Amino acid sequence: MGYTKGRVMNERTTSERADYLSRRRARILPVLAIIYLTQQASYITIRSGTVERAVDQVKISAWLVLSTVLLAALATKGFWLQPLEVRSMIDDEVTRSNRNDSMRFGFIFAMLTCIVIYFITMFKVVDGRDAVHIVMSDGLGAALIRWGWLERRAHRDA
Amino acid sequence: MPERLANRLKDRRSELGLTQAELAERVGVTRKTVNTVENGVFTPSATLAIKLALALGLSVEQLFWIER
Repeated sequence: MGYTKGRVMNERTTSERADYLSRRRARILPVLAIIYLTQQASYITIRSGTVERAVDQVKISAWLVLSTVLLAALATKGFWLQPLEVRSMIDDEVTRSNRNDSMRFGFIFAMLTCIVIYFITMFKVVDGRDAVHIVMSDGLGAALIRWGWLERRAHRDA
Repeated sequence: MPERLANRLKDRRSELGLTQAELAERVGVTRKTVNTVENGVFTPSATLAIKLALALGLSVEQLFWIER
């Protein structure tokens, strides 16, 4: 009665807490991937315009910050504000396996994007910044979607 | 014919009256890990297989076997 969400969280065991956070991450990952990929639409709009305004630079910087955060979440245990024991349990064997699998998937996707861009440059000039943006967005987006799918599958009961 | 690591984790856990969460707590992993091993979605490492066998009072060979 009268429990706040934070209080309930504190009363959970480490395993329950890790499981709760892991489930939450599994739900959030696909949403994050969609937000990240839809952000690309604004980049394309900015780049197709003739003049880049200061606000456009802010939008591109926001993309760069989000990319860095997502990359760090993919490459580390994540949940940086949680106690170490909870973080270690969230990053258990299955999560590490899913994380590694999604990073491999993202890498392959990024390389395939490179091949496509390389092919396009035979016929059309592609700006270096655009190429980096596309490769990074594709690789990270693919890895996030793959990770989300694997995590949701892992939480699903037989 | 591909090989698959089968297990009697669910049966043994039910025999002992444990939930996935309780077993996960004993082994020091999340419920998700117990769930994926039980369903055959994830092949555990030797370390985790030994921990699960110890927690369920069986040998690793009694808990896991290769199915062809």
